[in-house]
Amino acid sequence: MRALGGSVGPRGATVLLAAAVAGGLLGVHGWSTRQSGPPPGALGGAGAGSATSTSPPGGGGPAGRPAGAGPLLASQSFASYSYQVWPGAPSAAAKTAMTGLSISVRRTGSGISVSAGPSGQPGAAHAYPGGARVYVIEASMGDEAGSSDYNLGDDGVVVTDAHGRIVQ
Amino acid sequence: MTPSARASHPEQPAPPPGPGERAGQLAAEWAPTVGRVLLGLVLAWFGYHELVQPSVWTGYVPVVSGSTLVVLLVLAHGWLLLMLAVAMVAGIAVRAVAAVAVVLLLQIVTSLTMSNGLSDLILRDMGVLGLAVCLTASTRQRLVLSR
Repeated sequence: MRALGGSVGPRGATVLLAAAVAGGLLGVHGWSTRQSGPPPGALGGAGAGSATSTSPPGGGGPAGRPAGAGPLLASQSFASYSYQVWPGAPSAAAKTAMTGLSISVRRTGSGISVSAGPSGQPGAAHAYPGGARVYVIEASMGDEAGSSDYNLGDDGVVVTDAHGRIVQ
Repeated sequence: MTPSARASHPEQPAPPPGPGERAGQLAAEWAPTVGRVLLGLVLAWFGYHELVQPSVWTGYVPVVSGSTLVVLLVLAHGWLLLMLAVAMVAGIAVRAVAAVAVVLLLQIVTSLTMSNGLSDLILRDMGVLGLAVCLTASTRQRLVLSR
């Protein structure tokens, strides 16, 4: 079979068929894991660089009220994409990951108050007990340009207790 | 030059090509192939990741709402990118595949520009778009699967 710029012979067709099947299988895998992609405190999902919702798919805010300790952050698939924001000064990677986001952490007595959201749309502040750690999640740094983040769908904020268990 | 003078000075053999000319010939021979394979790798990278982690890419889908539909669109986009990538790397119908890639990249550049304005990311994508445009031209491709 002739096509613009070359022919698709039997071998070519076989390769394309194999790629189509492989792509289909990968797609089935991706579909089955579609809920495990964004971190719990996902900040995006409304559109490229225009995320307006600060609610994660499962409900609650990006730094919602503690609802009991969850799994260890280190055991989550997005652990390798997490960058500590608090306590201490954020690393250069954390600063890059925070591009397009507004994350504010303040001491309040024995605990901290955290508010997070897309830049210009800070979310409501929520309190956490002392020892809590705040992480920004950024699955791909490649979508940051200057002060813009083109895809907030892979961004999130996670708060853990002192033992590294996710509280939100 | 008179005929008698030409007879006394036979034509000199062409001088061997210099390093610059040889490099140019090598580039003319292989550059389209290298460009094709590299563009294929770019498409493969994005296609694979859109397929295995579609939820990370849903933020790029313009206009459409509804999480299920958005994920399906990302999966379809990723599948198409993977197919284009395989065809591109294997050298199957390169010009047609490049033309489809041009349309896809043009859509990406346009939607990102409209939503966020020009930036370094978009200019980088425009470079990739330019590579795809170049591959729509008739070029001599090596390492192709033509049968």
